[in-house]
Amino acid sequence: MKKYYLIIYFFLLLIMVLAVGFFILAENILADSNAVVMTVKILVCGDGVREGWEECDNSDLGGRSCASLGYTGGVLSCTPACEFNTSACVTTAPSPPSGGGGGGGGYVAPLIETKVIFSGRAYPKSTVTLLKDAQVAATTVSGADANFQISISGLSGGNYIFSLYSEDSKGLRSSLLTFPISITTGATTQVSGIFIAPTIDIDKSEVKRGDNIAIFGQSVPNSEITISINSDEEFFAKMPAGKDGIYLYNYDTSPLEMGQHFTKSKVALAGEISSFSKAVTFQVGAKTTPKETAKCGKADLNCDNRINLVDFSIAAYWHKRPSPPAKVDFNSDGKVDLIDFSIMAYYWTG
Amino acid sequence: MIQQEKIKKVLCLFCVLFSVGLVLPITTRAAQLNLTSQAQEIKMGGKFEVSFFLNTEEESINAVEGKILFPEKLLELKEIKDGNSIVNFWVERPRSDSAGSIIFSGITPGGFKSENGLVFSLVFEPKEKNKGQIEFSGIRALKNDGLGTPADVLTRPLEFEIKEADLAPEESIEIKARDYEPPESFAPEIARNESMFGGKWFLVFATQDKGSGIGHYEVKEQKRARIWKKWKAAESPYLLEDQNLRSYVYVKAIDKAGNERMAVVEPRYPMRWYEKYLVWGIIIVIVIFIYIVFRLLNNSILSFPPASPKLQRGERKRESPGRATRSGAGRSDPQKRE
Repeated sequence: MKKYYLIIYFFLLLIMVLAVGFFILAENILADSNAVVMTVKILVCGDGVREGWEECDNSDLGGRSCASLGYTGGVLSCTPACEFNTSACVTTAPSPPSGGGGGGGGYVAPLIETKVIFSGRAYPKSTVTLLKDAQVAATTVSGADANFQISISGLSGGNYIFSLYSEDSKGLRSSLLTFPISITTGATTQVSGIFIAPTIDIDKSEVKRGDNIAIFGQSVPNSEITISINSDEEFFAKMPAGKDGIYLYNYDTSPLEMGQHFTKSKVALAGEISSFSKAVTFQVGAKTTPKETAKCGKADLNCDNRINLVDFSIAAYWHKRPSPPAKVDFNSDGKVDLIDFSIMAYYWTG
Repeated sequence: MIQQEKIKKVLCLFCVLFSVGLVLPITTRAAQLNLTSQAQEIKMGGKFEVSFFLNTEEESINAVEGKILFPEKLLELKEIKDGNSIVNFWVERPRSDSAGSIIFSGITPGGFKSENGLVFSLVFEPKEKNKGQIEFSGIRALKNDGLGTPADVLTRPLEFEIKEADLAPEESIEIKARDYEPPESFAPEIARNESMFGGKWFLVFATQDKGSGIGHYEVKEQKRARIWKKWKAAESPYLLEDQNLRSYVYVKAIDKAGNERMAVVEPRYPMRWYEKYLVWGIIIVIVIFIYIVFRLLNNSILSFPPASPKLQRGERKRESPGRATRSGAGRSDPQKRE
C-alpha cells in the first residue's frame, strides 16, 4: 500500500514538473513573440567569400571564368566592388607569334574603398537618416514604393554602431534600428532587408471608456499593419495600409480597464515583417482629452526637435550636480544619473 | 526498503533537475559582462591586456556603468583603451578614480544587442609574482526601453597568476600595432541653454578613433587669419570666448598615436567687409598704388612739356589770378603769377 502511495506521489510530482516546465516554455515563447523577427542580411564584399549579390569576392569567382562568360580566353578577376573584371578576357583567337610584341599596358589598381550600403523599406518619399556612432552620417529620401538605399564610405576598419530611422509625411519618427557592424578595411559591407517599423500616434491622451481612440501612422504602401493594444490582456487588430502607406484604426475602448495603456504597431509585406514600433501611451478614464503636441519632445533639452550631442552635453553638465532643472531630470528623482541618460539614448535622433 | 531508497534518489534527482531548470533560463537571459585576456601566461616584466566585453543576451542595452577593481599591489595600470568601443558617449570616461579602481559610465543611443561588444580594454604591468583577480563592482546596465529599466546582469571576474619571466625584462617582446588612421570625421555644434554656463554660447564635439582611441581635443577660435594663435586643450562642452559668434572655431581631435582630425565651425555672424583689417590693408595698398601711378604719370607729362600748350596755360592764369591751382606748370613760372 505504501508503495502505491509513493508511485502516486511520484506521478504527481512529475505532473508538477511538466506543468512548471510548460509554463517556463510558454513564457519563453511569449517573450520570443515580442522579439524582432526581421531578417537582415549582412554581406561583406572583400572577405574572400562570394555571397548574396556578389558576382565574386577576391579569388572566389564562383567557378566562373572568361570562357564561361562568353570570352574565348584570358584571365577573369574580381573588382573591389565584387563584380567580375573582364578587362583581361579576350574575344578573338591570339595571333601567331611575329617577332615579339611591345610591352603591355600597366594595370592600375582601382582605389579600394571601405563602404557600407544599407537598403530596405521605410515609408513613401520619407527622409531616412543614417547615424554612425550616434551622429548623423547621411540622409536620403525613399522612393514612392518606400524602398531606400543609403551608403557611407571613407570609414576606418573597426567596430561601428550604425542606426537608421525614418520620418513620415507628418513628421513622426520611427524608433531607431541599430546595427553593430565590424567593418573590414577595403571591404564593402551590404546590409539589406531592413524593414523600418511603422510610425504611430494617437488622437487622444485620455479617452472616456467606451469611446473610440484613433491610432494612426505610416508604413509601406499596401502592407498589412498589426496594431497591439496592451492591457492586462493584449488586443490585436490587423488592417491594410493605404496606397500612400498611411493607416488609421479607430479602436473601441470598451474592453479596456480604466488606467494607463499603450499601443504599438508592426508591418508585414511579402513574407517580411518589421519589429514593433515605439509604444504610445494613453489613459482610459472618465473624460476624453485630445492629445496635444508638446512644444519640446522628451529629452529634447534645447527644443530643436533633435536629441543629439547638444542635449547629451546639457544633461552631462548636470550629472551628479545638486538641484538639476526639472526638464533635465527625466524620471523626476531629483538627480541626473544613468537612468536619465538611458531615457535620452532611447529617444536619440542624432 | 531498497525500493524506498531508490525512489528517494529519483526524487532527489528530479528536485535537482527541477531547480536547475528553473534557474537556468533566468541566468542565461541576463546580460553578461566579461573580462578576458588573450595572454595565456602573465609574466613579470611584460604587459598584458584585459578586454571588457558586453554580451546582451537578446536584451537591448543602452547604458552601462560601474567599476573595475584590480589588486594594486600586483598590477600597475599602464593604459585604458576606449577606441573601437560600443559606447558612443561617455558620461564618465573610463579612468582610475582611486588606487586599484577604474570607474566608467556611458551610453549607446538606440541600444546594443549583440555578443562580445567591446566596452574598453586595460593594459597592466605585473608588479610581483602572485595570484589575483580583476572583478566588477557596482555594475548597472539599463534596457533600451525609454524608462531606464535595469537589466539582469551577470559578471565574470578574471583570475590570473603572475609568473617569473622566461626572458629578461629587456628581452621581452612587446607587439604593438601602430595606429595610422586619424579619428573619425565629426561635426562640432554651437549651442546655448539657460541652465548651463549662465546661458552663454558653448561648443559641443565628440568623435571616435577606431585604433588607439581619442587622446584629447584642442580648440582654437579666431576672427582673423592670425596664425600665431595657439591651440587650447579642451573638453566638450567648451564655453566659447567669442560670445558674439563672429569667429571661426577650429576643433582638433587627436588620438593616442598622435593622428589628428580637424573640424571647423563657420561663424554664425561673420564679420562685415569693413570690419576686416585685411580688406582695409588691401584698400590702402591700392590707394597708395594709384597715387604713385598718378604722380609718375604727372611727372612724365611734365618732363616733356609741349611749347604751345604751356603758353596757353599761362594766359589762362592771367585771366583768373585769384583761383588756386595745383598745376605744376603754375608753380614753375612764379614771375608770371606776380
